[in-house]
Amino acid sequence: MPDVENLEDRISDIYRKHYLDVYRFLICFSGNQNDAEDLTQEVFIRVLNNLANFNSGNSLKTWIFSIAKHVAIDHYRKRRFTSIFQEGFFKQLVSTDKKPNEIVEENELKRVVHKAIAKLKPQYRAAAILRGINEFSIKETAEILQCSESKVKVDFHRALKDLKRKVDFDDLEEVFRNAN
Amino acid sequence: MQTDKELFELIKETYSLNPNEDFVSATDVKLRHLARKINRKRNLKRLSLSSCGIILSALAISWFFFFSGKEVVNHALSSFGEDQASSAVNQQEPLVYIYHTHNLESFVRETDAKSPDDAYDESKNITLVGNRLSQALKEKNINTIHNSKDIMGILKSKGLSFAKSYEVSRESLSHALDEHKSIKMVYDIHRDSQKRYVTTETIKGIDYARIVFVVSRLSANYQENLKFATLLHSEMEKKYPGLSRGVLLKSSGPQSTYNQDLLDGSVLLEIGGFENTLEEEYRSADALAEITKEVIGNK
Repeated sequence: MPDVENLEDRISDIYRKHYLDVYRFLICFSGNQNDAEDLTQEVFIRVLNNLANFNSGNSLKTWIFSIAKHVAIDHYRKRRFTSIFQEGFFKQLVSTDKKPNEIVEENELKRVVHKAIAKLKPQYRAAAILRGINEFSIKETAEILQCSESKVKVDFHRALKDLKRKVDFDDLEEVFRNAN
Repeated sequence: MQTDKELFELIKETYSLNPNEDFVSATDVKLRHLARKINRKRNLKRLSLSSCGIILSALAISWFFFFSGKEVVNHALSSFGEDQASSAVNQQEPLVYIYHTHNLESFVRETDAKSPDDAYDESKNITLVGNRLSQALKEKNINTIHNSKDIMGILKSKGLSFAKSYEVSRESLSHALDEHKSIKMVYDIHRDSQKRYVTTETIKGIDYARIVFVVSRLSANYQENLKFATLLHSEMEKKYPGLSRGVLLKSSGPQSTYNQDLLDGSVLLEIGGFENTLEEEYRSADALAEITKEVIGNK
């Protein structure tokens, strides 16, 4: 049970400690900076509203991430019928240091990666991001996703296989050759 | 084919992994604002809860003292019967057994009845007095069984005559005695049919319902019961002079053992008469509880 008087300081502490990880999970999951920011805010508002129900026996971080996962999947369901592929995604990928040719190449690569991730089933996507980007252990990931550790292993394995198949360097080179 | 690590490095490069700084600080401000709001709500809730509590208890207290709450509560308590009594006392083995062979005996001032023959009532009857006595004993840490069984109702449903009432009350009593070897005293509580001036005594300006101890000569425990009743009478004389009308010996009638053969330490009590009020009856019940506590120590 959090100290009622210090709720304000407490949520601020929690937020500053965890926002970056949560944001990274959500940007990879949604692929869009605006969405990721909105969702991050939504996650911490839910954390604030449910802080009284948090069982201090559990890890705060995995609890926050289980909320983040719910928020992400809710968002995915809402967006299901509209295109996941947002126009805004390319607008924000402007890099000024590189030559036009490199930009094209890099954008092409990012497009492929993004498309591969966006095509993953949300459960696989969450497992892949939590394990690969946020570097949670299998046990923690299982806690966050509220499933067994073996399911995490299987989901992660399948997600990796799928990603590799789609983001194969050889294929990419071919894409570039065709593009050129 | 790339390794897993390379793949994730690629993913990391794909997205801008750091959020906008404006966004970060704006969210912090927003969360603090929401937290303050929640705190305010909680304080308001706590305040309104506690003030509600105070108002409610004030209402309950005024109801209890200034209106007829006390009577209602007593009545409600008595209708719970023997099983509902309080707390830790119930953990001990029972020492006293109270029952009412003529459980409907009532009081003209509490009902619409005119004569002792009419003074019988389904709820406002001698059982209330037995219940009061049992509560008073429990408050003195003497565990008590109060049997509020409707003997008259059983008689009626079985089609038995009034004369059989002691046989019906005997069943529960002997069962209880078998089950609880700890019981030392058995009170069968009645009210008398004598006029008010016989059954009322004023002690220090307060009216009490007088008590008479009735012992059957025909039971096997006659000597012990007589000794027991005499002890109760003499102790009562010391503390409440005039409250006891003494010990009455009976030796006639078909039911005249009054079940006193089942335990040495049995007595039939007439507490007050049909013209006493429940309030007077309760006072005497409290006095009797006090005397019982004295006597039980010597038994």
